[in-house]
Amino acid sequence: MFETILIANRGEIAVRVLRACRELGIRTVAVHSTEDRDSAVVRMADQSVQIGPAPAKRSYLNAAAVIEAAKQSGAQAIHPGYGFLSEDADFAEVCEANGITFIGPPPAVMARLGDKTSARAAMTEAGLPLLPGSVEPLADAESAKRLADSIGYPVIIKAAAGGGGRGMSIVHEADEFARTYQQTKATALQLFGDGRVYVERYLASARHVEIQVLADQHGNAIHLGERDCSVQRRHQKLVEETPAPGLPKELTERMGAAAVQGALATGYVGAGTFEFLVDTENDFYFMEVNCRIQVEHPVTEMVTGIDLIAEQLRVAAGEPLRLRQEDVRLDGAAIECRVNVEDPRRDFAPTPGLLTRFVPPGGPFVRVDTHGFTGYKVPAAYDSLLAKVIAWAPDRPTAIARMRRALAEFGVEGPGVHTTCEFLDQVMADAEFAEGKHDTGLVARLLG
Amino acid sequence: MSYRPRAVHDDERVEAPADLDAALASVRRTAAELLASSPVPPATLNVRAGDVSVEMGWATGEAVATTTAAPTRLTVVPAPEPTGETINAATVGVFYRAPSPGAPPFVVEGDEVGRGQQVAIVEAMKLMLPVEADKAGRIAEVLVADGEAVEYGQPLFRLAAADQQKAA
Repeated sequence: MFETILIANRGEIAVRVLRACRELGIRTVAVHSTEDRDSAVVRMADQSVQIGPAPAKRSYLNAAAVIEAAKQSGAQAIHPGYGFLSEDADFAEVCEANGITFIGPPPAVMARLGDKTSARAAMTEAGLPLLPGSVEPLADAESAKRLADSIGYPVIIKAAAGGGGRGMSIVHEADEFARTYQQTKATALQLFGDGRVYVERYLASARHVEIQVLADQHGNAIHLGERDCSVQRRHQKLVEETPAPGLPKELTERMGAAAVQGALATGYVGAGTFEFLVDTENDFYFMEVNCRIQVEHPVTEMVTGIDLIAEQLRVAAGEPLRLRQEDVRLDGAAIECRVNVEDPRRDFAPTPGLLTRFVPPGGPFVRVDTHGFTGYKVPAAYDSLLAKVIAWAPDRPTAIARMRRALAEFGVEGPGVHTTCEFLDQVMADAEFAEGKHDTGLVARLLG
Repeated sequence: MSYRPRAVHDDERVEAPADLDAALASVRRTAAELLASSPVPPATLNVRAGDVSVEMGWATGEAVATTTAAPTRLTVVPAPEPTGETINAATVGVFYRAPSPGAPPFVVEGDEVGRGQQVAIVEAMKLMLPVEADKAGRIAEVLVADGEAVEYGQPLFRLAAADQQKAA
């Protein structure tokens, strides 16, 4: 096992990674921008290195500075968390070249799965079901239009290099296609520096269900059940849960087996997520692979009792998986709510600022992953996730009641600071959500 | 000279009174106005909200310090100011004073430096990045030893004002 790990991230996930390291007796190095010099992870870490100014481009996304900090502090491995450098194959390669272990899949696997079109091609090859659409990036507007016509509308145009719910647009009618195609290409080029797009059938009321996989360097892979992430606003997840309500066990088991098949076929290593869309007929389609730990990983931890970050570290250190598929037991139901500093009444505008009061919920079977504390100033330079509240119960209705209790306990105050707690409670109180019959359109209906 | 007034709570943290926002905003505004109106930036500035008192102190005299801790006192204290100007690291890396091992250093204490003059190297990922003086002055102190690791923004040299006679 590693002696020292550098955590190349900030916010709640940096704290989460630090906790896993500490439990395993691993020394931690936090890197931070000038803006984050008083952050929770900096206070908790064994060592901290200031790597740049507030803008992420010059600090958390600055590969050279992160590598330099790792060398200075004697770190043998870097945990990238999610976002920032976590899915940057070039960064993983630079780590390798410097003799530092990147905690994630091998660079080549990351590059292949990170590109949505080559990922689609790889999964077609592995025998996974895909939505009708293009496997190769589209050559030009005309052939793209012909393909869209043959698929039938609505279709969705997605950036090959896209992610995080950005760089995609839906086309409802054939005569809208040409204009939207050009717009999406332009947006993709602007956001990702890569204008390649592909097209696939759009499912209006599909559920977003993903499978957590874990693979080692010795050719073993298992899945840890599914997560339902259908409560989204503008493709941003707000609530995640497991098991996916209302899905037959037989279906999620087939999805799990498909994900393992995809992981083994591509030489995947570490923790990863296979995202699928499930339609009203309970057919499922591969969407993409996330080559990192995800924000919503705690719900899986709650029902399996497996510390996913610790497993990531063990796998990266070369240890074989300690579990076989039949050892994985999924117990009860877990829900995660993302508490953001945003004002739902002002179109979810971010509300950074000083937290004059920060009292996270507690009590039985409630877990809070956060970097917040009273006196912490939430910087405006980064994303608005402040805390993740996770509730576990033997069954879903009890988990919902527990989550509502926990959200009501959460006390956050500060000049101009708002949180999404109340809105999340509205979701928890929704009749459709309670029945588990909601889809990705739920938030729009609640706000409408 | 840069000034960054920073709001600091009293040691006994106030349990967030309803008008804390307003009080903080008012204290900040008052502090900013006082600093703007002061011809020379003070070394200390205390603004008390409770019984309305303002105290400013300059480095030449002894700084005024109040120790009476009223429970609702809000104090604006300036961020710790480095003594004089400094030249800071523009990247995390390894600090080198000379262009190559064994060569004489770029600068030694007492040297006059001009704006844009190279004074050191910070090596990051095998790239030798020149450290340049961003203002003219005299090297008063070298703050980091040769070959030592530095962080982003870490002061490397302390600068004193350029020698008056030479400047003339």
